[in-house]
Amino acid sequence: MDKLLRKKSNIILFLAPAFILFTAVLIVPIITAFYYSLCDYKIGLKPEFIGLKNYITMFTEDADMKTAFKNSLFFMIFSCVTQLLFGLILAALLTNIKKGRDFFKNVYYLPCVLSSAALGLMWYFIFSPKYGINKIAESLGWIEKADKGVLWLADTSGFIILPIIVISFVALWQYVGQSMMLYMAQISGISSDIYEAAAIDGCSKTQAFFKITLPLIKPMVATAMSLNAIGSLKFFDLIFSMIPEAMRGKGGKAHVLATVLYDQGLRYSKYGYACAIGVVLLIMCLIVTFLINKFVKTESDI
Amino acid sequence: MQIDVDNSLTEKSKKQSRIIRIVIYVILCFLVLVYILPLLWIIMSAMKPNADFKSSPWALPSDFSSLADNFIFAWTKGRLGRATLNSFIVSTVTLIVSLIVGSMAAFSIAKLRWKYSKLVLTYFMIGMMIPIHCVLFSLYTQFASWHLTDSLVGLIIPYTAFSLPITIYIMTGFFESIPNELFEAAVIDGCSVPRLFVTVGLPMAKTGFMVTGLMSFVNNWNELLFAMVFISDDMKKTLPVSLTKFVGPHSTNYTQMFAGIVIAVIPTIIVYCIFANQIVEGLTAGAVKG
Amino acid sequence: MKKKKLLSLALTAVMSMSMLAGCNGGGAASTGGSTGGSSGGEQEITFMVWDDLEASSDLITQGYKQSVDRFNEDFKGKYHCRVISTNLEEYYTKLNAEVAAGNTPDVFIVSPGPNLNDYVLPGTAAKLDDYLNADGWKDTFTSDAVFAGGTYGAEAKDGAGIYAVPLNIAAACVFYNTEMFADAGAAVPKTYSELLDACKKLQDKGYTPITISAGTAWCLSMVAGYLCDRNGLNLQDLKDHKTDWMDAKVINAGKQIQELSQYFQPTAVSDDNDIATAAFYDGEAAILIQGSWAIGQINGNCAEGFADKVGVFAFPAVDGSSADPNRVIAKSDSLAMSSSSKNKDAAIQLIKYFVDDTAQKYTAEKGGKIPVTKVQYDESVAPPELSYVMDVFKNASATFGFYNESLADTEAGATFDSCFVEIFKGTDPAEALKPIQEYYESNVWK
Repeated sequence: MDKLLRKKSNIILFLAPAFILFTAVLIVPIITAFYYSLCDYKIGLKPEFIGLKNYITMFTEDADMKTAFKNSLFFMIFSCVTQLLFGLILAALLTNIKKGRDFFKNVYYLPCVLSSAALGLMWYFIFSPKYGINKIAESLGWIEKADKGVLWLADTSGFIILPIIVISFVALWQYVGQSMMLYMAQISGISSDIYEAAAIDGCSKTQAFFKITLPLIKPMVATAMSLNAIGSLKFFDLIFSMIPEAMRGKGGKAHVLATVLYDQGLRYSKYGYACAIGVVLLIMCLIVTFLINKFVKTESDI
Repeated sequence: MQIDVDNSLTEKSKKQSRIIRIVIYVILCFLVLVYILPLLWIIMSAMKPNADFKSSPWALPSDFSSLADNFIFAWTKGRLGRATLNSFIVSTVTLIVSLIVGSMAAFSIAKLRWKYSKLVLTYFMIGMMIPIHCVLFSLYTQFASWHLTDSLVGLIIPYTAFSLPITIYIMTGFFESIPNELFEAAVIDGCSVPRLFVTVGLPMAKTGFMVTGLMSFVNNWNELLFAMVFISDDMKKTLPVSLTKFVGPHSTNYTQMFAGIVIAVIPTIIVYCIFANQIVEGLTAGAVKG
Repeated sequence: MKKKKLLSLALTAVMSMSMLAGCNGGGAASTGGSTGGSSGGEQEITFMVWDDLEASSDLITQGYKQSVDRFNEDFKGKYHCRVISTNLEEYYTKLNAEVAAGNTPDVFIVSPGPNLNDYVLPGTAAKLDDYLNADGWKDTFTSDAVFAGGTYGAEAKDGAGIYAVPLNIAAACVFYNTEMFADAGAAVPKTYSELLDACKKLQDKGYTPITISAGTAWCLSMVAGYLCDRNGLNLQDLKDHKTDWMDAKVINAGKQIQELSQYFQPTAVSDDNDIATAAFYDGEAAILIQGSWAIGQINGNCAEGFADKVGVFAFPAVDGSSADPNRVIAKSDSLAMSSSSKNKDAAIQLIKYFVDDTAQKYTAEKGGKIPVTKVQYDESVAPPELSYVMDVFKNASATFGFYNESLADTEAGATFDSCFVEIFKGTDPAEALKPIQEYYESNVWK
């Protein structure tokens, strides 16, 4: 048994396809990108090695990056907390009902499978001052005229601006189904014997949730949270389709890391600088994942 | 006396739990509205003439004269039919390939015994953190020199690679949770490792397939940036690309645009409704075995 | 266990670092000609454009489609033009990717200014002088001035010459709804104070005086560009650091934007260009400051009869400024050819189909843009607004580019745009202009 599972040829056979594909398509380009991040490289010209200058510019001079760090960190914290909370609550509620469980689950998961480009446009109109919810508020008499109401996607006052908060909620709406599914998959894997035993011991359902369910799904919490954190750091699609172009262009207040990267690399064709942003993003993702896994695992050790 | 107390208690708790159940259903139904209403609004608006939408965007459609025009325009001029097919091909092939290749790797990490399995898992995990914008140009130049751009294969390869980390991550977890005894029994029966994987590993990890498969399918279905840069031919464009192009620079005809959104969304909803129940089955199957 | 994981992480990082040493930037070095596929004897040439030729309702775009179709018809069996189209926002992204991959399209549309610089300076775009001088092609154009945007000096890799052929000219003008003006008793303004006066009258009558987009930054910055120019700012002086962005002329332009902003529609800050212009087309606002491509949109999109209500005037002068009030912002869509094209002659033929009499007549009569050749077109067929724009254009003493396309580079242009959006939102001009000042200090005036 042991010998069979240790056989080198088997390991190579099983691992090689994924390893080769993954290395060629992701790791090699990322190493190239890492090299470019140390270069002054504009599209069409030869890359010229300039050391850490791109990184220095990024952290000292670039105002857009400051905005982006702030917004991306907010996104990350918001999405980690709310997705964990609502994902768990939904999973807990749904495992406790029998009638219509599949229906509710399917509905909540639905936006996850729909095109973000399409949903972004939809929400753009829902929050547009002329046609969307402001129009409802107008017909209900809450505000005098639709276009004088709140500018959901363009108000730039405050430390965390309103559009970023609005989009955080839209992202929660779209992706909470994902977390819910992950938690439900894990909860449904818990043997019902444990619950029965607990019930005999006089354990209420709420108690059972905290004493049995939560500890047992902790590994999934780490997984789901890491996915959320990484996803929100790389967040791009909804910002791109919902925010007015002026606010995610140069000097815009609604920048996140991915939009600055996109701007610098693809719009101003400063590819070297964009690669540097990408590398920083990658390192941030590594750190956050490491922290989440460490934090959650430590707790479960106790 | 003793029995009486018990009875009243259970009655009380029964009543309580009924109230709790009602509250739960009210919350769940409210959330259903939050999820369904925006979609209904778009579908409703797509049926109206543009002028009606502009004057009263939230009214029920009363004039259906533009309905056919809106959808025909979006379908033919926006080439959304073709785009849906392309997206479907790309996402499905990617899904199948990444599940096979990914679960093989996950199996070798979780169940085969070798020194560097954890290290290799970490290596794959890095892939989840790579922002795709970062590798876009390097990859594009590389693929162009291999003449792989402007073809669906050129999209399937990177999509598969991007799907691998999450597939491997989740599948490893599922394989690890399968008790070793099952494998030992099979090995004693004289099973080779590839057979072990197919006959024991795969059936046990069905739930994992459902979850990862759905996630990678959805990601690839929605992917915009790569598809936009890699594909130039209008007949090979995927849905998100055609959709963003259709809503184009000068479009002021919103209801046609909504028709485009509806066309983009409806097939997914139908496919989802068909497969959603199988996902549910997969989940329950996993629960029984776990 | 945890330590092991950390260790493995670190190890991977070190691994990738050490592999880096042996890595050179080979990725983008791949050189190669354009896609000269020869299927069945028919040579393919590629043309890249920023709008969907099939689906667009824009009449100028539809004209491009006709040119391509005519070319394909005439050269059937010999050449075939394959169109690569994107939406406007992703155009340069896609084009850059094609250039980086060595797949530069044979012919591509481009805006003169910093965008064109990106292709001319490294030698991606071909020099066109030889083709223009052959067979008197160049003489068919109205004047040498139309080539100004595509003309480069010795800084271009392939030397001084013309690198882009203009297709049409759009002049930025003020479009107004004559009915609303008449109803409010407002007169066509000649000066800035008269403009404020007209806006006030319109507002008192309950109209939205001006519709503008600050969500799409270049729209607001077009007005800002006009105000800067009317206040007497000289971009060459700015480039040479004879003046800077804290100049009273720029500050004054900023204050005027703030003054005008009380007459904008309340949602200006979030509206994108489409929504803002639609408000004018739908008769919700009285004034639209826009490029004359708006004419093509009005005729392609608007209700019957609306075009007759539209008047045009030149952007007013600023009271008390000595600056020339007859300068006009103009922009031309131009075509460039890839220097690595395998079918240069066919590519030139294709370009000629965009500037021949049929295409140029269409440009004027249907598209409503100013033609670049000496073509005779039927003024009675052309949209009425075109003749107003032509009047403005003929009276112009000089033309200048969009500010965001006339500054040092694309990023400087975008910075200018965003500074004026900030000013519009109420930030003090001197404070809001700091980013562009700093950008010039660290990138331009070195």
